[in-house]
Amino acid sequence: MKAAEAIVTLASLTRGPRPFSFENREAEEVLNVALALLVELGVAFDRIDRLERLLAERTGISLDDLRATDYDGAAGAERQAARDALMARVLRIALDARVPSDGRG
Amino acid sequence: MKVRSVQHEMLPETTVDDRSRQAAVVSLRRLLNTQVRPRNVELYEREGRPAWERRHGRAPETAEEIRAAFFESRRYRFWSATHRAAQEMIWIAAGEPVFRDLERLEATAERLASSPERRGGLELAPAGYVPPGEVADVDIHLQPGGYAMTRSARDVACGALYENGGNVFAFGQGLGKADSKAGAVIRHLEGARPGLKPRRILDLGCSAGGAACHYAAYYPDAEVHAVDIGEAMLRYAHARAESLDVRVFFHQMNAADLRFRDGEFDLVVSHNLLHEIGRDNRRAMMREAFRVCEPGGLVVHQDVPTRFEPTPVRQVERAWDTRFNGEAHWSTYSGDDLLADMGAAGFPPEALEETRLDKVAGPGGWYLVLGRKPG
Repeated sequence: MKAAEAIVTLASLTRGPRPFSFENREAEEVLNVALALLVELGVAFDRIDRLERLLAERTGISLDDLRATDYDGAAGAERQAARDALMARVLRIALDARVPSDGRG
Repeated sequence: MKVRSVQHEMLPETTVDDRSRQAAVVSLRRLLNTQVRPRNVELYEREGRPAWERRHGRAPETAEEIRAAFFESRRYRFWSATHRAAQEMIWIAAGEPVFRDLERLEATAERLASSPERRGGLELAPAGYVPPGEVADVDIHLQPGGYAMTRSARDVACGALYENGGNVFAFGQGLGKADSKAGAVIRHLEGARPGLKPRRILDLGCSAGGAACHYAAYYPDAEVHAVDIGEAMLRYAHARAESLDVRVFFHQMNAADLRFRDGEFDLVVSHNLLHEIGRDNRRAMMREAFRVCEPGGLVVHQDVPTRFEPTPVRQVERAWDTRFNGEAHWSTYSGDDLLADMGAAGFPPEALEETRLDKVAGPGGWYLVLGRKPG
């Protein structure tokens, strides 16, 4: 079974009510998404750490030196541009020009 | 035998990312358990109770009112929502590798169970058996499908979920890899009864067989039998025991309605079963444990230490699991007079002992009630 199918299967097997704690159920659902992303961020950090250690071992550059490597000049500007784009993607909803309206009515 | 770090053929293949994911859930739960949850009672006193009193003009009195007052605290609500989400993520993090690897696990179980070298056995219930709904129909601890989920005649998913999810849960509670409920009971028995050598042991509500295997390894001359309600749980438990090369005979049975003869065992144990079943079934289970115990034998029920919570507010805080973690009988277990129930099952008062056990590895302790059958 593929990973996505395994996760969907697990979700489909759950039974009973799902009690909420927040006053707003939708806010709690967003919290659940954020916490799942927190776990995935932990997975990504672990993977970066493994790659750094492997790189240090293969190149002879110390792990401390690798992690202390900072960019300036053109590389630094390129990294900053990528960072700006990331923020814009994630905060797209805050940039949206449209006026919020209640779509349920 | 260690229970939580033991390696055997019924564990799913996991990737490094799987293990990272499980470790992240453990970290999240450890933070909640050690840094956030301990503030709940203080939040109740500072935010929850005053807000409830303003709304009602009096102090909360009943357990239900105290529970509602907790939820007046915004930070308590945040803990509750986060703790529930973390509990759900245990099953995703532990269950994804189980379902990815399920075909191999099922084939491994078949091979182990049919091997000529097998040491134990598995006896399924006769036709017409229906597992008790108060356990089978609930996702206890939010385990998807619950403890009796059986999807085919080869299925082992329920047991695999139980063991792997249980490990993520336990490490998040701060328990070490050497944690073992059976180990805590054995240590207590050896202290109280030096030289005890049980010959026939029965484990009631054995789930994936962690404790039963521990007894079988610790008392290699004893014959160990173990019962639970679900076919797939027991199929997994049996295969796991065979892989560990220990001899355990598993039976699909309701612990409140055993198919064993009177006096068949000299040690009858249960681990975390008292709080998973309702009052009537629990009392019937205690009567059955007494019945199948031989004169002079011991019956030992070990369970969670919620019965030792000193105040109603702390009891309600602990009872969060009733509504949010599939623990329907948590409060009944915590509030009932179990010594009286053991007495009603047949044990005279002087043959009973009720105590708190230290855990083998990790903070906190266990509740234990023990009876020696006269004779």
